[in-house]
Amino acid sequence: MTRRHGVSPGAEVKALARLAGAIVIGSLCLLANTAAALEPVDSKTRQFLESHCFRCHGSKVQKAKFRLDNLSTDFSDPQVAQKWGEVVFRINAGEMPPKKEPQPAAAELGSTAEMITKKIREGAAARMARRGLLEHYRLSRQEYAHTVYDLLGVVFDVEAPGAFNEDPLWHGFDRIGALLSTAPSHIDRYFTAADTVVDLAFPDRELPSKIVRRAPKKGTRQLLQLGEGWGAFDIRSPGRYRIRIRVSGLSAFTGRAPRLSIWHHQRKKSFAGVELAGSEDKPETIEIESLFPAGHYQVRNHARSQRHPNGAYRLFRNEEVPAGKPLASLKGGFLSTRTKIVDEKGRPVMPLLLVDWVEAEGPLISEVVQARRMGVIPEDEDGRKEAQGSLKRFAQRAWRRSVSDSEIEPYIEFISAEQEAGETFRKAYKSALSSMLVARSFLNLEEGSPGKSRPKVNDFELASRLSYFLWSSMPDEKLFAAAQSGELHTPDRLAAELDRMIADPKIQRFLDSFPRQWLQLHRVGMFQPDPKLYPGYDPWLEESMVMETTAYIEEMFRKNLPIREVVDSNWTMLNSRLAIHYGLSTPGQAKLARVRLGPRSQRGGVLTHASILSLTSDGTRHRPVHRGAWLSEAILARTPLPPPPNVDPLEPVEKDQPKTTIRSQLKAHATTPSCVSCHAKIDPLGLAFENFDAIGRWRDTERVEGGVGDDPAVDASGVLPGGKAFADSSEFKKLLAEDDGRLAEAFIEQLATYALRRVMTVDDTQQLRSIVAKAKADGYRLQSLVRGLVLSELFQKR
Amino acid sequence: MRRRGPGKVFPGMILRVPAVMFLVALFLAWEDAPAIADEKADALRDHTPEPGIFPPKGAGVYLAGDLVFSDPINRRGAIRKGGNMPRHYFAMLPYGMVWYHGAPADVRDIPPGTHMHGRFLLPMKGEEEAIPLSEKQLKRHPDARHNHAILLEDDVSFYSRQGRSWKVLGFEQGAGPAPRLKLSVEPVGPEIEGGINKAALFDIDGSTRIWKGSRLVGRDQVAPGQQVQVNLTWGPFDSLATTDIWLDDASLAAFREVQRQRHLRLIRSRFLPGWVDVVKNGDTGGGEITVTFFGGMDPSLYSDIRGMKGGKRTTKICNAETTLRTWGYHQEYSSHGNLLEWKEIENPPPGSSGFQARFKVGQMLDGFRPGRIVRAKGPWTYVLLPHDECIMTPEDLESSRRMVLP
Repeated sequence: MTRRHGVSPGAEVKALARLAGAIVIGSLCLLANTAAALEPVDSKTRQFLESHCFRCHGSKVQKAKFRLDNLSTDFSDPQVAQKWGEVVFRINAGEMPPKKEPQPAAAELGSTAEMITKKIREGAAARMARRGLLEHYRLSRQEYAHTVYDLLGVVFDVEAPGAFNEDPLWHGFDRIGALLSTAPSHIDRYFTAADTVVDLAFPDRELPSKIVRRAPKKGTRQLLQLGEGWGAFDIRSPGRYRIRIRVSGLSAFTGRAPRLSIWHHQRKKSFAGVELAGSEDKPETIEIESLFPAGHYQVRNHARSQRHPNGAYRLFRNEEVPAGKPLASLKGGFLSTRTKIVDEKGRPVMPLLLVDWVEAEGPLISEVVQARRMGVIPEDEDGRKEAQGSLKRFAQRAWRRSVSDSEIEPYIEFISAEQEAGETFRKAYKSALSSMLVARSFLNLEEGSPGKSRPKVNDFELASRLSYFLWSSMPDEKLFAAAQSGELHTPDRLAAELDRMIADPKIQRFLDSFPRQWLQLHRVGMFQPDPKLYPGYDPWLEESMVMETTAYIEEMFRKNLPIREVVDSNWTMLNSRLAIHYGLSTPGQAKLARVRLGPRSQRGGVLTHASILSLTSDGTRHRPVHRGAWLSEAILARTPLPPPPNVDPLEPVEKDQPKTTIRSQLKAHATTPSCVSCHAKIDPLGLAFENFDAIGRWRDTERVEGGVGDDPAVDASGVLPGGKAFADSSEFKKLLAEDDGRLAEAFIEQLATYALRRVMTVDDTQQLRSIVAKAKADGYRLQSLVRGLVLSELFQKR
Repeated sequence: MRRRGPGKVFPGMILRVPAVMFLVALFLAWEDAPAIADEKADALRDHTPEPGIFPPKGAGVYLAGDLVFSDPINRRGAIRKGGNMPRHYFAMLPYGMVWYHGAPADVRDIPPGTHMHGRFLLPMKGEEEAIPLSEKQLKRHPDARHNHAILLEDDVSFYSRQGRSWKVLGFEQGAGPAPRLKLSVEPVGPEIEGGINKAALFDIDGSTRIWKGSRLVGRDQVAPGQQVQVNLTWGPFDSLATTDIWLDDASLAAFREVQRQRHLRLIRSRFLPGWVDVVKNGDTGGGEITVTFFGGMDPSLYSDIRGMKGGKRTTKICNAETTLRTWGYHQEYSSHGNLLEWKEIENPPPGSSGFQARFKVGQMLDGFRPGRIVRAKGPWTYVLLPHDECIMTPEDLESSRRMVLP
């Protein structure tokens, strides 16, 4: 063994001793079957191991007490995978084979590491996908929120502080069953949440719907400059509210339009909003009806929240101005120390809101919601039979399956016991309902039967699978009825239900959630860009970035566009904020809308969306390797090898050295053979986008902090692993789009992961390919691929 | 009086005799030369300053007199030429410079009674109401309308700036109803417009401070042949009385330095004034402003600001009115500015420092408009200003627009 950078020989020996100890203990059971060891590893890898490893880690010699020749290759065993992971680690770190030993070629070393990693991944996938007779897939917190709304019409804010834990992600997906475990901390929160949900649905004292109105002083309008909010209303009971606002939204002289947000003061988050581009003398009345959690709300001119030098957040104007006075007259005078409203020509210098009044009406209890709640609590408090019937109907909806009387009996007994203890029937009954909402069948999607192995899901399970895939929520009555009829699994009935579900407004949940998870949009803004380097970056831009990408995929889905347009197109979804960011002319409308792009815009396809280009950045600079890794993972569904630990970071350019690009630094950085082999595959995918900075703006030169000379010109050219060369991102996107079969294969794998809530394994490969093959005829269109998946054999496979 | 060319032409002669016409034209040209010069002189004298534009050299009129009233907060005051003359009320132009003891100063530094020399222009556009004038004042005092000072300086500053000193000839005992001891002097150096250009007698008595080195000395230290500088004030029968006599350079240098330090303290706490030449508005509340700083300040103040280019500290820029008064807590009502560019203008016009700076600001204040006054803070310690110096309310602003006459 040779030394690792920065590790003393003593420490290394100790580390190896620990490793060896673990190996010895963990391998006892494996020693019995040496003959089976290494069988599943291909001959090339085996040959490599024999040539370079077994001499020191074989049957005769076991340096550091590590024996490799009899190491099991049952990669579904976590302990075995861990040991093979250590082997990869040593290879990637350049420790093995030791420098004094004969060195294999870089390609040979790379392919061995890749092969073992692949096996480990397959093992990991197998472990994650290993299904018993009965599988539970816990609802994500977002699904919980949608489910309680569709069940009882209750708005429960799952993201509120102290509500639910954040769900763990796997490559951006928050619904992977193997990761969504249920810890004791979850249980406690589920109990609290269930009580809250039931209380909100069946309050002891009904909160009447009312209209609250707020207006600035008579004869004035509330002027809100960027980032400023005006306390408008309070919501005590979460629910559906109708917000009406009379307002003028004035664009800045550059065309930058204001975004009016309904801003939750405590959560520091916008819950609804609209972009405006009107005139001062023609205010418009906008109406927003949406679900709102409890709290204090502001009408906010949504943009940056810049801190004033004196420490306060307020920086710009938030004041009453005379309603009859032209805005252009509001300059100079006593207000000259405040932020400028209009420029020298009387035009707004920044987007403005002039609010006349705000009304909040609610909570609105629709007939649909009333119907959902009707009959859940029986009217006859003494009727045991009626109670049982009501509970059973509720349980069937909540648990999304048929429920037997025996399953209801404990709840009836519970109600009786509570009543005997002095509780009122209503209270006891509500407690029973709460208990049903913490039942395993409510919190999880259950698939399988305890005593029976079956290869396919039943119709109820299929209904849930379908509704959680497309609506992130429970099946509605029709879908439930289809399941109950036993016909849902038939192609015709399934197709009919699918059509109905796609036409339902709830499909929006899929169109918002899936692109975010698939493209890992949660990473946008994870590392906030340094305000000194990127002063133009603001929260509204960040939201607009994500909106562009989700709206783009939505447009593709609704218009059923071919998959190639995911990576290359001549259109995008643009609002004025993004247009300014991209340096494009401001679109005619303020709202996000589809616009046709010119040949030089460089923005067609998600790969050149600011969201995608920025999600891999670290807040100070772009990271081409991360861009490449993201592209490989999200678009090509190929997760690259993890980087070895202890890799030295790229150092800033020294003051006395010439300025140099990250690309040049990377070239000098990847020195070991294992680095070179891996980077050769990832880097071109990221370097193609060198013309875009850390927040996705176009550039011709790369801004380099420190160093001497001019900022260097960027080079976005490269060669794909297959040998095809490209000069820039446009050519790269075209090359990628040409291979639409590969794009479709990767997309369907991501879609299936989302829909089936598990990682795809080699066992699914054939069925995935079959779906893709069927979609080829019409050019791999997005909605067709979704339909193909739902109607496939895979979708009903357990 | 001005004579207009066309009124002197005889048309018949021009038509009949071209040669005569040429001679007449030549004659007229000869005759018109002083007329044009007069017009220019009148235009210069009656030049109306405009916000954002410095006046030309020689604009306005020269006036001198004792400072008899001052409103240091609004940089206004009054001088009186003689005992029987009316007060000449004035306001300092925003770029108006004050010199005292040979160093930059402010109205507040000048003790009442100090004899001052000044150059006064018509009010700047928009400032016509700053000095309220009665018909009577206008009739009695033809220069009353020239009431915005671009320069105000005491005798020692006025004469020494122009290379002038006084040679002591001796003492003379005066006679008459109020006999007084006189210091007899004669000018040394160039002739000065508005100054005393011949031998003069200045009153001297026990109140006259005589400086030598760093010490106050007795009258016996004054000897014929010495070259001295003096500051003057009103004396009986409109004579001029000496308040201070500086016998050597060292004594004057000491006074100059004290005044310089006083000036530095003032500007560092009130910030360096200038006006906005150009603005470039951003659309998210920031932008760029280009400022030309006013002249008459100590050079180190300009250097302080210039030295902030590329540094970590930012300049703070706040709005001010034409009185140079800033708003509220001027530290807070200001915008951070990063110095992007520093330019130097050769032969700057009067009132200008010749230094122009371009700043990037995070918050474009409403007062950042071409022609408006700003004050920029260098790397100086912030101090809270007395409240009555700031404009705190709209009423403050309104009342500061017009001088309240005593």
